[in-house]
Amino acid sequence: MLSSLPGSKWNYATAAHLLDRAGFGGTPDAIEKLAAMSPAAAVASLVDYQKIPDPFASTPDWARPDPERIQRYEQIQRMFREEKESAKTEDEKREQAEKRRLLVQEAQREQIRHLEEMRFDWLKRMANGPRPLQEKLTLFWHGHFATSAIKVRDAYFIWLQIETFRQKGSGNWLDLLEAVATDPAMLVWLDQAQSRREHPNENFARECMELFALGEGHYTEKDVTEAARAMTGWSLDRAAEEYRYRPRIHDDGVKTVLGTTGTLDGRDVLEIIVAQPQAARFITGKLWKFFASENLPDRLADALADAFRSGGNNFAPFLRTLFSCEEFYSDTVMHNQVKSPVQWLVNSVRLLQRDLPPPIVATQMIKSLGQDLLLPPNVKGWDGGLSWITTNTLLARYNQAAILVMGQGSLGAEASRPGLKRIAERANEMARQLSPADVGKIIGDDDRRDSAAVIAKLEKHFIQGHLTEAHRQVLRDYLEPRADLNDQDIRHAIRLLMSTPEYQVT
Amino acid sequence: MKTEPALRTRREFLRTSVLGGALTWTVPAFLANTFSALQAEASGSATQSATGKDSTILVVLQMAGGNDGLNTVVPYANDYYRRARPRIGLPANSILKINDAVGLHPGLTGFKNLYDAGQLSVIQGVGYPNPNRSHFRSTEIWQTASDANTVERYGWIGRYFDNACRGADPTVGVSIGQQMPQAFSAKTPTGVSLENPQSFRFAAGRSGANGEMNADEKSFRELNRPPMGEGAENSGATIGAIQGPTAHQGSVMDFLERTALDAQVSSDKILAITKRVENQAAYPASQLGNALKLVGKLIGGGLPTRIYYVSQGGYDTHTNQTGQQERLLQDLGNSVKAFVEDLQAQGNFQRVLVMTFSEFGRRVTENANGGTDHGAAAPMFVIGHKVKSGLHGKYPSLAPQDLVNGDLQYNVDFRSVYSGVLEEWLKTKSQPILGAKFKPLTLV
Repeated sequence: MLSSLPGSKWNYATAAHLLDRAGFGGTPDAIEKLAAMSPAAAVASLVDYQKIPDPFASTPDWARPDPERIQRYEQIQRMFREEKESAKTEDEKREQAEKRRLLVQEAQREQIRHLEEMRFDWLKRMANGPRPLQEKLTLFWHGHFATSAIKVRDAYFIWLQIETFRQKGSGNWLDLLEAVATDPAMLVWLDQAQSRREHPNENFARECMELFALGEGHYTEKDVTEAARAMTGWSLDRAAEEYRYRPRIHDDGVKTVLGTTGTLDGRDVLEIIVAQPQAARFITGKLWKFFASENLPDRLADALADAFRSGGNNFAPFLRTLFSCEEFYSDTVMHNQVKSPVQWLVNSVRLLQRDLPPPIVATQMIKSLGQDLLLPPNVKGWDGGLSWITTNTLLARYNQAAILVMGQGSLGAEASRPGLKRIAERANEMARQLSPADVGKIIGDDDRRDSAAVIAKLEKHFIQGHLTEAHRQVLRDYLEPRADLNDQDIRHAIRLLMSTPEYQVT
Repeated sequence: MKTEPALRTRREFLRTSVLGGALTWTVPAFLANTFSALQAEASGSATQSATGKDSTILVVLQMAGGNDGLNTVVPYANDYYRRARPRIGLPANSILKINDAVGLHPGLTGFKNLYDAGQLSVIQGVGYPNPNRSHFRSTEIWQTASDANTVERYGWIGRYFDNACRGADPTVGVSIGQQMPQAFSAKTPTGVSLENPQSFRFAAGRSGANGEMNADEKSFRELNRPPMGEGAENSGATIGAIQGPTAHQGSVMDFLERTALDAQVSSDKILAITKRVENQAAYPASQLGNALKLVGKLIGGGLPTRIYYVSQGGYDTHTNQTGQQERLLQDLGNSVKAFVEDLQAQGNFQRVLVMTFSEFGRRVTENANGGTDHGAAAPMFVIGHKVKSGLHGKYPSLAPQDLVNGDLQYNVDFRSVYSGVLEEWLKTKSQPILGAKFKPLTLV
């Protein structure tokens, strides 16, 4: 049984923690507002986001089935086949290959443009939207069902998948799993669209058990091959760009999956999986690790799984329990999670009360910090935790902090392929044009007379009360000799704070 | 928690310099002075034996996604091979033949040249008992050198650092790429990762003279991944890279402080080397080619590194394998060959050993999508000036009665290869690192 956080422990620090983890953090004003509510009301203000109107909801004009796009794609495929197989002369083949190259390049540029637009819209919703938990949870599902545009190759499909996470991410586990299993991007990503009765493809069936719902060691190889048989029929109508069930390629024979035998289909298998005791433990453990801590004692894992089951395998009530329980606010959880690159960027612009950098710069920033949004490194998603931090990415954080605070930074983006050189140059150029943060919003002129007060204020704003004394002293050494602190002095101090180990965690 | 003296000193340094360093954009000299003091301290330490610049160097090359070993070192004359692979079996006349039974994939001309020069050995049928077909678990087994049924927290390279390189310069291990491989996870975090030397530094001031990019500094950084939209040929892309989680002994804050310091003490040195040293061979313009090109510079510049780590992804070829694997292997062979030429021109090749691995091979029988599913045993390659070139180990039998769940049975435990590399190349006892005695495979 999980006990709720007592009202006596609800204060600025715990409210800040909730806002950081269930969202992307906030300014002292936003934290004070949350701290003034009861803990239950504060949690509800984040979890019950469906009630909040979302002016950020929008559909890009390209996010729809597009026959022209399909035709172009088919043309490329056709040309590719012809080059290989037809009786054309070498010269003709070369000419066609060149034509094809241009078509591919154009399609690729369009794809990069769409992904960038979509990524930026998403970052904006995280940074400024009224439903931070919706976006945070969508980010969780994106890392969980990690699907990359590199193979899916259709920005519309990627957009559809993210939208599915957004709409169903706080609903029922089985519903979400089924939505993902029949999601066009996933059907391409894990080859399910190519699976046939005669030769089932195991890719989705395997990852569904290993990575999505049960975890390694909780199923057999036989379960994978049998589940793959049951899942045949889940397919894709490429011309219509939508999911299609095809009974003719479905294997309607008898299968045995995880001890249940019958003429199972894909939905049956998902039901069997979700009914396993391990299923609740697996997904709640992963949510705990994402929202709370890498550390999950067995007893707590049991309690979380129980809470999930008793809430009917629904995520909204589970998250309410998670964000309300005392364990979520323990010393080992608070200030002990490395910010993901997306968290770092969104949190930073929120704290600096500035706009996100332009799309191309924002994309480069999180990518160089190790999180290429919409392009996860593999189907397991980002490892997270300490693995966000390497010599490489930590230096990048410190340098990017300078860009966000001081403006006019050197992003240092470079392209390894000639086709991408222009993008890198543009990103660098845009970063150089970035305006400095307006620090007057953070520390007004009247508050600058006493450097000790300035430090206290900055610390509350950026670190929320866990700066080590040694680091505080460095800040004093810097600010105290300076009389009449100007904007640039304040910026330097903020940049310093953002270049501490303390700022990298939440 | 017990804190090591070295770490305390580092923390002390950090207090006065990471923050202090950031403060000194008006006094850049402060930064330089602090670095040179620290470097002097490092060079005077007792650990130079492990990191001395004339020591041997190991380059670990990960082929992520599970490379199809059967179509890499091909048993081209085997009837079972022909039967199992009617569509994707490679024609005998295209094989770069080693002997009457096996030969290399036609894309591996780079490797064939090295083989003919006596600089490449092929270890056949490498694997481990009770093979796991999950990319992530199997990668973890290879990275941590564990048994299939135990979970190790630290990587085998990390345990080498913990055991044999204590207090060493952080650049004793260098991973090319943003992320750290799990193999580097150690009790005491050691090693640096970098992708682009130009951005691998703390920009001490506003953009300006030192913020400008040097046109000669060519990119080591991937702005985007391999081309999208090339037919179905990105089929292996589901596995672009597998790093695995990072572990260490101590708090998150300790880890952050340590990493910040390692970054600072290594970044200027690395940037200086990459500016000073010229590559002496033409590398393919691929991610792997760029990574090895950077390693070539760092070796040429005398960085005291014992282990470099590079990775090439895309081997998860469930569909349309042929074109994808050919491109990857061509890139592999050509990149490594360029690297060898570069080292030879520098006069450093005799110090360097390259070892490849992939988390598993693939199923013997091709699937219906012109690809192969996850399998087990596969070959490893070891490249070096002094290797015992030729074929090692026995090619696993392809006879149906000898397969285990449709997979090749391993003959050589991968930890015997690690053991050989540790004992004979890095000159250290393998048992404390591998946790058990594995008979070292004689490779050099």
